[in-house]
Amino acid sequence: MDVSAIDYYANHGSSFLHGARALSKIIFAGLVIASVVISNSFYLLLAVYFSLLTMVIWTRLPVLKIVTIAAYPAIFALIFAAASWNGSWLGAGVIVLKALSAALAMVILIVTTPYPDVFSSIDPVLPRIIREGLLLTYRSLFVLLELTDNLVKGLRVRGGLTHGRYIKNVVNFSSGIGLLLVRGLDISEKFYGVLNVRGYSGRISGGGRHEKTGVNDFTALIIGALIFGAALVIKMNGEPSAYDRYVLAVSLAALVISTVYVIHTNTRGRAWKK
Amino acid sequence: MSHMHIPDGVLPIWIVTAGWIVTALLLAFCIRRVSSIELKRKIPLIGIISALMIVGMTLEIVPIAYHINLTVLAGIVLGPALAFISVFIVDLIISMFGHGGVTVVGLNTIIIGAEAVLGYYLFQLFREVMANKSMFREAALAAFLSLFLSTSIMLGIVYASNVSPEKIESIGHLAPGTGSDTNGPELLENGINFPRFAKTVFILCPVGWILESVITGLIVKYVFRVRPDLILSERA
Repeated sequence: MDVSAIDYYANHGSSFLHGARALSKIIFAGLVIASVVISNSFYLLLAVYFSLLTMVIWTRLPVLKIVTIAAYPAIFALIFAAASWNGSWLGAGVIVLKALSAALAMVILIVTTPYPDVFSSIDPVLPRIIREGLLLTYRSLFVLLELTDNLVKGLRVRGGLTHGRYIKNVVNFSSGIGLLLVRGLDISEKFYGVLNVRGYSGRISGGGRHEKTGVNDFTALIIGALIFGAALVIKMNGEPSAYDRYVLAVSLAALVISTVYVIHTNTRGRAWKK
Repeated sequence: MSHMHIPDGVLPIWIVTAGWIVTALLLAFCIRRVSSIELKRKIPLIGIISALMIVGMTLEIVPIAYHINLTVLAGIVLGPALAFISVFIVDLIISMFGHGGVTVVGLNTIIIGAEAVLGYYLFQLFREVMANKSMFREAALAAFLSLFLSTSIMLGIVYASNVSPEKIESIGHLAPGTGSDTNGPELLENGINFPRFAKTVFILCPVGWILESVITGLIVKYVFRVRPDLILSERA
């Protein structure tokens, strides 16, 4: 998981999703996850996944990187599917697609929304200690990643991580994590002190971006509502029906058209590279 | 691997809801317990320990995608109440990165929170019994037992999800068309093959438990050497 890349995409993108309010995207992700929860249709779940892929393409962010980030839960879903195996490939596919779709919905939220915006949106429902913990944790993540990078380089240069000496490597690596904890704590304490000196009172500000609801918000909400509506209709329909195949066909068409458009006009990456 | 990487929508809604309710109650209890502590000192510690857990959870060690949790370290350094809050923060953040389902955050917090709380109490127990100078053995043993117990809790939850009230209620009342969805319904209706799942977990996990125990022991040994106050101070 490349936290730095995720943060970079969230702060430097200019797609319609980047322009939407965090709350709209949280509702969108919630609707997609609700669809994933209520649906057991392989075709519908595949359609949901294709729809989310289409949205990733629209953001003009590196598709493969984002899909890879969101594919991590599939490994565990496969173990779970294997444990639940009853001879049905579609059944196993349902579990894997549920993992992939829910993860991709969340990753779309996080790669198009800076973290203070996400936290400020859920701020009113959380107690102060959790709000502050969330902020400090996210901030500390970047501190730790930088320290880890330096630590690994340092260990390599001094021969602390070498091939064949696995026990010694584990000992050095563990001491390194201990060092990270001690140094990271010092930095985190200083950061928290600075925040307090500058008047931080426990409230996370969203930075004042996208305060008004606009077209971008409605687009995200309508897509989320359409996905949830399709899942609900197919769920209520009960029996295997043609609806889920139609939905799959539409989502596949949208994916192909979006891909062709992005490749044809060579706009891949345009929204964030500048 | 003690926590659940089970995707959203696989476990029954009643157990997911129960997970959230229990987590909310436990969080309220923990927040009440730490209300007397000066937060200016503890918040940075929660931040860095949570971040360390996230880094650990997102680093795969071996090809089976095993990762370290460092939850027992969190328990030892933060104490049970703050560690439980920290675990909730970690679960919330990693669910945003697609690592584990969003709906199972409540259940995951119970499982990993139990790991941290058990880790703390077992460490304190072994500290008194063993009285070792380096703290390595105490921390490693506490980590190993906590991981075993939390994995058992995870299996208990998966087992409970197979005997949901809806299923018990629906026995003998299954009308045509009810309970069946479109595709792949057999798998979800029959649920998980629990013995097979438990066997898979208990085959894959011990390697990870040993590795995590050794790493936790070594980290605690190092921290105890340079900042003993982080290991020995009073906890809520």
